[in-house]
Amino acid sequence: MAGLGYRRDMADWDMSAVRADFFEVVPENWVHRNRDPLHRLIQSGRPVQLHGVSLNLGGTSDIQPTFLRDVCELMDDLGTKHYSDHLAASGDAHQLHDLFPIPFTVAEVARVSDRIRYVQDILGCRIGIENSTWYTNIGDMPEADFLAAVAERSDCNILLDINNIAVNYKNHHKHQHVHDIAEFIARVDRSRISYMHVAGHEFDERFGMYIDTHSQPVAADTVQAALQLHRLHGIPILLEWDNDVPDMDTINQELACLRFMTM
Amino acid sequence: MSAFYDYVRGRSDVIPQGYTEPGMRVYRYLVYLGASQMVEAHYPKVKAELGDEAWRTLIEEFVRQSQWTSNYYGDLKDEFLTFLARESA
Repeated sequence: MAGLGYRRDMADWDMSAVRADFFEVVPENWVHRNRDPLHRLIQSGRPVQLHGVSLNLGGTSDIQPTFLRDVCELMDDLGTKHYSDHLAASGDAHQLHDLFPIPFTVAEVARVSDRIRYVQDILGCRIGIENSTWYTNIGDMPEADFLAAVAERSDCNILLDINNIAVNYKNHHKHQHVHDIAEFIARVDRSRISYMHVAGHEFDERFGMYIDTHSQPVAADTVQAALQLHRLHGIPILLEWDNDVPDMDTINQELACLRFMTM
Repeated sequence: MSAFYDYVRGRSDVIPQGYTEPGMRVYRYLVYLGASQMVEAHYPKVKAELGDEAWRTLIEEFVRQSQWTSNYYGDLKDEFLTFLARESA
């Protein structure tokens, strides 16, 4: 099983030729919009799932019921039970339209879990939370333990982003204790993992850090870790490519790498 | 957390305690880039007429004053008009 993040850059593609078994879209981009392209994907027998960017689980603004109603309506329209967002803040009391770190502390586990439960109560189903890339953060818990604790306390699913684990490890392991991919996975309850994300990243000399750009082929160690988790536990993998989206052949080659070993 | 978001918005250049300077610069840059790209997509002529330096100053001020509330990134185009009206009042 290999999925693909469907992006507007693909609007002109013959999607029947894209070798993906399922798709994922950003709900914020499809609320109040023409969803014909998504219904065509569903009619081809391939589900479309939702992965949001603005829920602001780590922020302090009230989570807006009107937005959740929009999401709920979209889930019904697409016939999906999969809605996830990031274990991150999208701002403080206001939106900043990016993803910011939540301090890895016990107090934040409790506060953020309450916000997730609120979302789940309104939607009437579990949501997924994705471990995010972070470029600097505070707190005394290892990230994997923070993720596991939030998932347990809020009883939600985990969307495990293998690329984000790899980027965080590369950026931070020389200066602080962070887990590599294998160690990170070992600390998370696998039964909560709904599926995995893989993507590419690149080094940015301006900051001396690896940036989670989703603009490159997936790194070998990320592919290997995802395939192993798939082989052992049957967890699906989804490819994200959001910037400098290449042609369909390149995407299909990337998908083939993920599918070949998982058939 | 206000020190963190004050830095991200460019309201302060003080690195909040416990965070790293390169990491904070990444976040400030990403927010600037997001605002710049969305505004440029809707008002490309503004950037062309202002030139790069004046554009950067304008978007930095837009971010510094930001109190955006919508979940929808595309709504930044409306926030930008509100910002311009406020600035020119």
